[in-house]
Amino acid sequence: MPPVSIDSQRLRLTNDDATTGTLIGFKCNECGASVFGPAIFCQKCTSTDLNAVDLGVQGILFSYTIVRIPPAGWPGDIPYILGQVELPSGPQVLAEVIDCEHHDLKIGMAVHMVLRAVPAENGGPDKAVYKWRPV
Amino acid sequence: MTMNKIKPGREVMVVGVGLHPFGRFQDKELGQLAIEAVLPALKDAGVKWKDIAIAYFGHVYYQGMSIGETTLSKLGLTGVPIINVENACSSGSTAFWQAYWGITTGLYDLALAFGAEKVPRGPVTVTAEDAPERYIGGDHMMAGYALRGKRYMEETGAPASALAQVAVKARQNATMNPFAHRKDTYTIEEVLNSRMIADPLTLFQCCPTSEGGAAAVLCAREDLAKYGIDESRAVSIAAAVLTSGDYNGRGADHSAFSPYRTEPAALQAYEMSGLGPEDVNLVQVHDAATIGELQQLEALHLFPFGEAWQGTVEGRTTLTGDIPVNTDGGLLAMGHPFGASGIRMIHETVTQLRGEAGPRQVPNARVGVAQCSGAGDVTTVHILKRG
Repeated sequence: MPPVSIDSQRLRLTNDDATTGTLIGFKCNECGASVFGPAIFCQKCTSTDLNAVDLGVQGILFSYTIVRIPPAGWPGDIPYILGQVELPSGPQVLAEVIDCEHHDLKIGMAVHMVLRAVPAENGGPDKAVYKWRPV
Repeated sequence: MTMNKIKPGREVMVVGVGLHPFGRFQDKELGQLAIEAVLPALKDAGVKWKDIAIAYFGHVYYQGMSIGETTLSKLGLTGVPIINVENACSSGSTAFWQAYWGITTGLYDLALAFGAEKVPRGPVTVTAEDAPERYIGGDHMMAGYALRGKRYMEETGAPASALAQVAVKARQNATMNPFAHRKDTYTIEEVLNSRMIADPLTLFQCCPTSEGGAAAVLCAREDLAKYGIDESRAVSIAAAVLTSGDYNGRGADHSAFSPYRTEPAALQAYEMSGLGPEDVNLVQVHDAATIGELQQLEALHLFPFGEAWQGTVEGRTTLTGDIPVNTDGGLLAMGHPFGASGIRMIHETVTQLRGEAGPRQVPNARVGVAQCSGAGDVTTVHILKRG
């Protein structure tokens, strides 16, 4: 069974084996603000005139930390790099940064989204989880 | 948000404060922690429980329905309205804010705001089992602060030692506070060498989760005589402001918050009080992590943006500096029982403005600010003044 999107309102898979996808959200037709993830009302101006949009796979590292003591339920490696990444349209997206040595981390570096299959906490198909990786 | 012009009515004063020590108390239930803060607050005010016209109870972790009613029933069933308040880490300060507005509008004469919490040990998370955030790895309060810290250091050039200095100062203040959870002091090196939680935050730069209780009694100034309250020890509430997150251009991710949510609340509070940052003699801010203190001080306009770290290194935020901060040890040394912390800040501010803070007394303290943050980008800012 192929992995399922970790969050179908934030990540749309674009192939059947869940190895590619795009971040998704909404753009406001009135004020132009973008939102990552679900929205009924624009967060900036409260308009309901929103378009579902692809937010893509590219971003810039706004900040990062190396988490040594993980939160409950964290299924990955310890330590792990948590990246706060700004998308070209404005919203920021938190996710693990992978395939990057700690000393190579730099605020402002370009990253792109990749998917990794993670076993589900309560059984069922794996989750396709979005991660950031240096370009 | 459409900003309504704030129209306070009657002047409201804090007339009594009480605290249960912060720490770990395995043999005490939540209600007992609360009661052991409420009773000293009533005694401090010199009022009887039956005179209290309304009570607000701040707490976060579920302890059964109507825990405020269950708790206060032990003092006698007076029919008083009791409201349970959950507003994350700002639950206590939100309870206090509500008590203020209940009185200034003329609805009530005497109000009780109290809070208590028994926070479980370990990193604090906000999402449920199997929630997407658990796989993303971002549901981690201290990681959120660490992201802010890393960015702050990059933008301002602040060294890690400047952040550590915040923790050193907090522990020094706490040595003079019998209610503090942590009273041992550290050097900058010891702070930096403590266990790394999330770079750049080491263990000693993160507040302990704790248990404790805090309470405050509020009364309209014009009613003090009616209840036999000593006006000379009453402290006036010059501003009471509560806000939630406004659009910051960065989207919906709950952790990708602006560090400066406090600024709009602070500006409202200054306007409401007719006071400015230059009038403030001491301040309690939400220092759940060291970086939090620096950014809150800047958002309160007590330092220019990006410069609070320098003020900290220069000693300006110590008890003998020109703007003493977290004079009781703050969250970093007191610990953080969510429901109680906001009222603990009020307790410390009132104690200082009365001139009753003993060895940690700030000389000639006239105006104090208490700022408390909570998940959901909640901010409360209260300005208290003597006389």
